[in-house]
Amino acid sequence: MVELTEDSFREHVEQLASDPSQLLDLLRENHPLYDQRGAATVVRMRGWVMLTLARTTLTDDALPFVIEDLDTGVDAYLVAAAAAALRSYPTPGSAFAPFVVRAITNIRYRDERLSLETYGGFAIGTKGTSPVRELLTTLRWLGPHARVVVSEIESLQTGPTALSKKYHADIEQILKTIRAETGVEADDCCRLPDSVRDLFSWMRIPGTNSSSITSTIFEDQDGHTITFGDYFHRRPSIVVFFYTRCDNPLKCSLTITKLARIQKLLDSEGLSDQINTAGITYDPGFDLPERLQNYGRHRGIHFAPQHRLLRSQDGLDKLRKHFQLGVNFIESLVNRHRIELYLLDAKGQTAGYFGRIQWNEQDVVDRVKEILKENETPANNSASSRFRVASPFLGTAVALGLALFPKCPFCWAAYLSLFGIAGLESIPYSPWLQPVLAIMLLLNLTSVWFRSRATSRMIPFYLVTAGALTIIAAKAFAGPTAAGFIGVFLTLAGSVWSTLSTSSLNRRPMKEGMKKVPIDLIQE
Amino acid sequence: MTTKKRSTKKRQPTKKAAAAKKSPAKRSPKAAFAVATNEKKTSAERAKAFVEAPLATIQSDETAQASLNVLRDREQPIKVRLAALQSLQAASFSVIEFEPYREDYLATLREIVDDKDEELRQRVLGILAREKDGYVQKRLLEGLQDSSKALVPPEKALQLLSYDVHAEAYPVAREIVNDPPSPEAKREALRLLSADANSAPVFEKLLRDKEEDRDVRQISAVALQTVKPKRFQEQARELVLDEKEYDDIQATALTGLAQFGDEKAVAKDQKLMKRAEELGKAKSAKVKKTAKRFLTRYGTEK
Repeated sequence: MVELTEDSFREHVEQLASDPSQLLDLLRENHPLYDQRGAATVVRMRGWVMLTLARTTLTDDALPFVIEDLDTGVDAYLVAAAAAALRSYPTPGSAFAPFVVRAITNIRYRDERLSLETYGGFAIGTKGTSPVRELLTTLRWLGPHARVVVSEIESLQTGPTALSKKYHADIEQILKTIRAETGVEADDCCRLPDSVRDLFSWMRIPGTNSSSITSTIFEDQDGHTITFGDYFHRRPSIVVFFYTRCDNPLKCSLTITKLARIQKLLDSEGLSDQINTAGITYDPGFDLPERLQNYGRHRGIHFAPQHRLLRSQDGLDKLRKHFQLGVNFIESLVNRHRIELYLLDAKGQTAGYFGRIQWNEQDVVDRVKEILKENETPANNSASSRFRVASPFLGTAVALGLALFPKCPFCWAAYLSLFGIAGLESIPYSPWLQPVLAIMLLLNLTSVWFRSRATSRMIPFYLVTAGALTIIAAKAFAGPTAAGFIGVFLTLAGSVWSTLSTSSLNRRPMKEGMKKVPIDLIQE
Repeated sequence: MTTKKRSTKKRQPTKKAAAAKKSPAKRSPKAAFAVATNEKKTSAERAKAFVEAPLATIQSDETAQASLNVLRDREQPIKVRLAALQSLQAASFSVIEFEPYREDYLATLREIVDDKDEELRQRVLGILAREKDGYVQKRLLEGLQDSSKALVPPEKALQLLSYDVHAEAYPVAREIVNDPPSPEAKREALRLLSADANSAPVFEKLLRDKEEDRDVRQISAVALQTVKPKRFQEQARELVLDEKEYDDIQATALTGLAQFGDEKAVAKDQKLMKRAEELGKAKSAKVKKTAKRFLTRYGTEK
């Protein structure tokens, strides 16, 4: 039973108003506060969180949630809240314009009067706003940045897709602003802030171990059973989540329709037998085989041993935990979920993710092909994993060599004698070794940088950089001193950290890093 | 001079005149609307005019507002208000033409959810409930939790809430099943719960309980078939084999098996087939009919 009333929730949000990070956490679909709430209640709660966030400046971290509701939202209150919230973002940008126009298309036939002043947003009588009104206000806020969608805006004024006359004055104003401001500095057209751009470019996730769900039993649309391990191991997979009772046509129904298109693309590239596709239902209690069969068939899904719609016979809990699914429930019914597509490698480990916003089918296919390539050559795979294990030590050895590199032949002889090999006159002092070692140190630095960027964990890179700089400074000013050893230690620490097991890394919220990503992506 | 004899043959009326005689001239939507909003006309005339041409209510902003004003105005005759509602509701099916007025329409409906006229109230709530309107869901739930705030009887509230499977009605529906204010409320609560797969044990228990109201058992059978078809098949089999079971319950069980049964499993089930043959000769016409249908499906009867 729900313990926190909506009034208490509203007060709770007010108390958090000065702490955007805690507020942002409330936008996670799987937040416990949404458990056992009806869908309409969740809409009110989320809308109020979004409006409270927007009282100050909307941050990049909050943007994905706002953009999501503009992209696929069909709830009037949430779309209106998202439109209003976007206006609190520090700088308008042309990249937002297509989303605002798309939101108008999505919501125009569900327009209704509401209030953004109070929690719940119900408007009775003549006072209030509406999602279309808020979206037009946001277009006005975008001003000349909305130039990229000027033809769509014009079609809202005249022609068969025109909005009702009551909005024409607003639209005229928007068009005037667009046409008048020719001197506005063009922003990097359609370049979204990183946090949202990453939702389009896929999220490469270091493989999460799937051992907790390997034995999960699924039943497919034909009533055949199969375990996670049997289905998802040996081949890369594209996995979407959905349920047949979803009442947002822009989410589950479209997701399965697009999955069918992905199947066609795979088929046209001769990859149908090399890549699995799967739709897993959030609602295994209701989505029995016959329902899965009908739902998929009506959306063009081609069923085959490697292409199935699945329901978990063991319930959804383990899958929820493993994938950190963005979903919540009232009883067995979904009350809210995000769009989520996962790419799994041949070991069933999560290798990529597209979420929240509509993904492009060709993009998904291109990404899964990369994963297929990586998995294709076992020799390369074991070579690459050997390299990953060896590289921290190689990097450290290089750092050590550079730190201790002697300045002169006498020092070289002294080192050799220290290591008991003084009699080996045949090993000459080779001054060219020093720059070679420096180059190898730089190579190590670069490889750590790539790995850090892929995992969005930059601390290893910073450590290795600090180590390299320390060694160079020690060499430049003081010779092989303690500073050089500190530099070697930092290099070792950073190199080892960058190759640590990714499963332990993934359990922490991805708050740091070069790219700002949705914080709910991988969490406890 | 000869006078032409006037023809005694009766003049045949023209086709046009004949048609006009059959049905009086249909007035234009504009004319109908003028009558509908004319307070000097009788309620019956106005109501009839409203219903004649639904799209007349949205032929302009003025007509739409006038229609909504009539609907909103609690002083207007209820017959006229109901007709205005019917007209607007019909017009709302023309989604594109209705787009400009939807906002005002829904706001007006919310304004009158607590109207004193029960029929108007129920119809307004029905329209908003089908829109999955959060405001109405909240009001209906409040009414179920506190009868002093109820807008409609509990069974009606549950029925309206069931239009949205994502509504927050499951906990209160369970409470009503356990402690029903009325038999109708219990039945509606069960129907609502049939959307929730977790409720299967409730349905199973009620289905097997011979002391339970037969309507409740029927509803439980249908609900169990929806959420747990295999379990329903097992239960249905037991019900058919039970010689002490009521006829109507056995008929429901046979129907379920006939329509949804696993053909191979049922055809092999000698005990069940034999029992169905016995029921094919039963006194109850309903049981006999459903048994024959069952036997036709599984091949022993042509």
